[in-house]
Amino acid sequence: MATYIPLLLLFLIAAIIAIAMFLLSTYIGPKNPTPEKMIPFECGSESTGGRFVKPSVKFYLTAILFVVFDLEAVLIYPWTIQFRSLGWVGLATMGSFIALLVVGLLYVWKKGALEWER
Amino acid sequence: MNLDPFLAASPLLVVALGGCLLMVAEAFSKHGREENDSRSAGPSGDLALGTAITLITGAIFSAGIWFVGPDKLEGSRALEPYLILDRFSLFFSFVLCVGGALSALLAGGYLPEHKLDRGEFYPLLIFSTLGAMMLAAAGDLLSLFLGLETMSLGVYALAGFRRASPRSTEAALKYFLLGSFAAAILLYGGALIYGATGHTDLAGIRAAITSTAATEGAANPAVLLIGVALVIVGLAFKVSAVPFHMWTPDAYEGAPTPATTFMAVAVKSAAFATLLRVLVEAFGDPALTSWASGWPPLLAFMALLTMTVANLIAGRQESVKRMLAYSSIAHAGYVLVGLVATIKVGGDAQASIMFYLLAYTASTVGAFGALILCGSRGAEAVSYEDLSGLGRRHPAAAMAFSFFLLSLAGTPPTAGFFSKFYIIKAALGAEHYVLVVVLVLNSVLSAYYYLRVLVFMYMREPAPGAPLARPMRSGYVTTALVLSAVLVLVLGVFPSTYLEIVAQAALASR
Amino acid sequence: MSPFDLVIKYWLALAAGIVAGILPRGEFPARRRVALGLITALTVLSVQWLWPVEGAAAEATADEWPHLLNVLIGMPILGAVGVLFIPRQMLSLVRGFTLVVLGVGFVVSLALLTVPMTPGWHFQFIKDWIPSLGIRWHVAVDGISLWLILLTTFIGPIAAYASFGSIKTQVKELCFCLLLLQGAMLGAFVALDLFLFFVFWELMLVPMYVMIGIWGGAEKIKAALKLFIYTMTGSMLMLAAMVYLAWTHQRLTGVWSFDYLALSQVVLSRPAQMMCFWAFSIAFFIKVPMWPVHTWLPDAHVQAPTGGSIILAAVMLKIGTYAYLRFSMGLFPGPASSLAANLAGVAILGGIIYGALVAWKQADVKRLVAYSSVAHLGFVMLGLFGVTPTGIQGAVLQMVNHGISTGALFLLVGVIYDRRHTRLISEFGGIAKVMPIYTALFVLVTFSSIGVPGTNGFVGEFMIIMGTFTSERLGTFAGIHTIGASAGVILAAVYMLSAVQRVFFGPLTHPKNKGLSDISPREMVAIAPLVLMIFVLGMFPSIFLDRMKDSVAMAYDQFKTVSGQAILFADEQQAKLLPADTFSPAFLKGAPGVKEEGEPEAPPEAGDEGVQGAAPTRRDGVLADRGGDR
Repeated sequence: MATYIPLLLLFLIAAIIAIAMFLLSTYIGPKNPTPEKMIPFECGSESTGGRFVKPSVKFYLTAILFVVFDLEAVLIYPWTIQFRSLGWVGLATMGSFIALLVVGLLYVWKKGALEWER
Repeated sequence: MNLDPFLAASPLLVVALGGCLLMVAEAFSKHGREENDSRSAGPSGDLALGTAITLITGAIFSAGIWFVGPDKLEGSRALEPYLILDRFSLFFSFVLCVGGALSALLAGGYLPEHKLDRGEFYPLLIFSTLGAMMLAAAGDLLSLFLGLETMSLGVYALAGFRRASPRSTEAALKYFLLGSFAAAILLYGGALIYGATGHTDLAGIRAAITSTAATEGAANPAVLLIGVALVIVGLAFKVSAVPFHMWTPDAYEGAPTPATTFMAVAVKSAAFATLLRVLVEAFGDPALTSWASGWPPLLAFMALLTMTVANLIAGRQESVKRMLAYSSIAHAGYVLVGLVATIKVGGDAQASIMFYLLAYTASTVGAFGALILCGSRGAEAVSYEDLSGLGRRHPAAAMAFSFFLLSLAGTPPTAGFFSKFYIIKAALGAEHYVLVVVLVLNSVLSAYYYLRVLVFMYMREPAPGAPLARPMRSGYVTTALVLSAVLVLVLGVFPSTYLEIVAQAALASR
Repeated sequence: MSPFDLVIKYWLALAAGIVAGILPRGEFPARRRVALGLITALTVLSVQWLWPVEGAAAEATADEWPHLLNVLIGMPILGAVGVLFIPRQMLSLVRGFTLVVLGVGFVVSLALLTVPMTPGWHFQFIKDWIPSLGIRWHVAVDGISLWLILLTTFIGPIAAYASFGSIKTQVKELCFCLLLLQGAMLGAFVALDLFLFFVFWELMLVPMYVMIGIWGGAEKIKAALKLFIYTMTGSMLMLAAMVYLAWTHQRLTGVWSFDYLALSQVVLSRPAQMMCFWAFSIAFFIKVPMWPVHTWLPDAHVQAPTGGSIILAAVMLKIGTYAYLRFSMGLFPGPASSLAANLAGVAILGGIIYGALVAWKQADVKRLVAYSSVAHLGFVMLGLFGVTPTGIQGAVLQMVNHGISTGALFLLVGVIYDRRHTRLISEFGGIAKVMPIYTALFVLVTFSSIGVPGTNGFVGEFMIIMGTFTSERLGTFAGIHTIGASAGVILAAVYMLSAVQRVFFGPLTHPKNKGLSDISPREMVAIAPLVLMIFVLGMFPSIFLDRMKDSVAMAYDQFKTVSGQAILFADEQQAKLLPADTFSPAFLKGAPGVKEEGEPEAPPEAGDEGVQGAAPTRRDGVLADRGGDR
């Protein structure tokens, strides 16, 4: 356990320094607020509209579909490398995996998730 | 090629395949597109039936393999340690499939009635059941996590199914956030355990703990104990044991009732199954089960807290659905008592837990189903007042509701009574007198709020002008109610066969 | 035999029947007259038939049809299910069906009397129910439960008949409850398996709860809930103790059993004995009810409909006393014996005297009768606590007595409540002038309730006081207890008679009372059997005592032996199994694992070791922790 004590001390010192810097800048730093300084700054122009803008749900849908169908490829790469040694069982496994993906794709397609406008 | 592994895993495969087929069928049917769901009758009818048939087939396959004997199938161990296809998991496959099928039937009546008729409900339900079955069969922390997430993701969506309602959305969000949190805790616990033992499979963990305990007295107790505690906490979220129950009432109340039923029945059973397996198979070593330095006191404390707090709060509820939510927490407490007893009486206590969960499944499905039956569109039965005078207006629904509530309260000759009796027996066998006395007193407490429903249904007349819950008519709901009533009665009056079954299903490694 | 001979042989019954049929004056429909005559004639006949003949026991034992008890329990329960399928519009069919099922039940139960009640179990029927836990469907009758069963089947139709007069709403539910209740009560009286007993004990609660809750008075929900919570608390504790007992039995013998006969052989360690005795007894005391857990009773009675009150008072309370006699005393004779004097003190001060004094101060007639029940059941419990053959016989007889006279009182109070919708004593006064027959009946039943010689109450109370006086277990307190109990008899006269005085006599002041109609034919038919039984019990108690004395003697002997043994073990810290030869073979007939030869399971050894149980078969951590096994 004793070997870890220096490590603990290191963490402690790091934390103290960080907190100290933060507090020091708050308390010591000069402050003279003017109205101009208090307005939200957005690329030099006046900011308009609400603070939260909801992107259309279609973006999320596309993003998640991309993740789902693209990341499958990551699983296929290692399989290709071991293709021979895995043999027919491997092929069957990957076949059923792709079949599942196809089922998913079919579902997504029929549900209309692939259409941007509907 | 040996097909035995496939045969052994057939309950899971059947359910998975059925789920895929149903999903595609729903997408290709005329209901698949959302535009035309206002005109024609919704897809619920066919889909509910399809789901029920799929899940019942899963249950039949489980039962079939049970009769063949999973140990007779040569390749049944091929999937270990990821999926352990023993009698224990077969029993839970059966319970979960039955619970899922009954929930699907309830949905078949509920969704069209409340204009929630969208087909996604059913595939989600099936895949959640699949996840629950995996969870019950998982013999490795990785597959356990996988099962847990498969189950939970579906249920999160089900909880938020009524997306126009803020309550439902709130329920889903709460459940999702706390559920993910719990999953993270579980994962962290698993990581610590892996760090301490070098294994993720339960048998390996057990072996590592035993060997280090033998050589060094107690190895890495701190890390290991924290890991064990975190795993227990993660699963305690899923079984909604106090103090990890905060999400339950809101989620149960906000979710559409069939989804609530599924949450109360399948999610809880599966979580208990895996809790039981993890505790017995991985952490069953005497080094971890002593009262001085093991998990039993933690569980015992949780059991005491769960029973008492849930029952006390349940009595104060004004909404029947919320009351049932707290009651399901209380029942989790009773099962935890059985879980504590497993360290001393082993098989007996495990059998009592399994019997309890089976009985609880039947009674809870019945109670929620009756609640569904008591309301109709625009006049859903939610509060006690809604049920006023129902005994006069709709005697059959009131009778069914009373029957299932009496079973939950543990009145003979229903399943609820016998299962509670069996838990008490196990706990007394393990000499946990305090737990038994608290359990017993709690079941008196619980009688109060269950009976309150009877009070309103039979003994109060509705206030003039008050909105009344109009009972609905649905063959699906009625079928589900009849099935669960038969199950409750049979389990209560002729429990013999089922006792033998659960005794066989108990995990062997002790 | 010619009809003429028949007339000569049964002239007494015939004459009584005719007189009873002619007696009522006024507009009495012929149908009711025939009913009254029949009831009377049958009562006389049954007294003749039941009169103990010398050497009756020597007669060849009649065939005991083993399914008789199953039929008795099953018929009402199946009937209850059957009622659910009768359309609720067909009121008369629902009512008629219920009455027929209950009436047939009574007739069938009379078959129990055809068998001489020799010691031991009769009409025993055993079938495995849940073999893995050793739970069996084990029902049987002995001389003690015999009378309680007959009381139940006798009161059942009367209560139903009375209810139909006053309850017009939700009749179907009422019939369902009545029938279910009847089946459960009968089951509780005959069950010899603790688990089975518990099932019936709990099953009984729900219909009663519903009955009070639906058809009760203004405060019905509170009263119903109180009843349920009180009883449930007790019964859950009992359940835990029951499982503990069975578990100990399993530890000692290796087999699970909830059988009363098997568990009687278990003597627990001293603290466990005390705990289990209390767990069982509190459940029973709540049901009886004994002070200080009696508070649910007045509420329940006041709020319950007449039929519910009758069943509650006449039968359900008896299940508490009966169960104390059978289970608390049978399973834990040690504590029952050592606590006898204290408990008797509670029964006298809290039950008999306190009950009487509170009853005196009641303004509501029904509440008064309810508190009088507390007092009367104090007597019953006193008889049981004293543990003398006379006392126990008196207690059993008094259970039947109280059932009949209190049932009749509630019925009569119901009559007046139906007319005035109030039961406050102050609302009445002088109604003897407008309701002479009613008054006569009420005074008669009052006499029975306070134990005037010639009526049933006298015999029971007399025997209980006798038993108390001669009891060894009450020791030096026996005299004081006797004095207290006798004071209770006097107080009973005080409160009952003063109430009668205020209700029936004096000037007829209240204008509403001037138009009261006298008792109706329907009510007359309902009350007649009870009134007749008051006299039958009061004048021919030997009919009853004769059939229970053997069983009581056996229970007493067993209590004496086993409590002696239990006290011997009192210092032991572990449970023991008594050898089978401690018990009479008649008692053990049908116990699990007992061979026909009556071979004891453990060979008796010398001295104290003679009662060492069979070696435990399970040798795991549980036993090792206790360090008790050898």
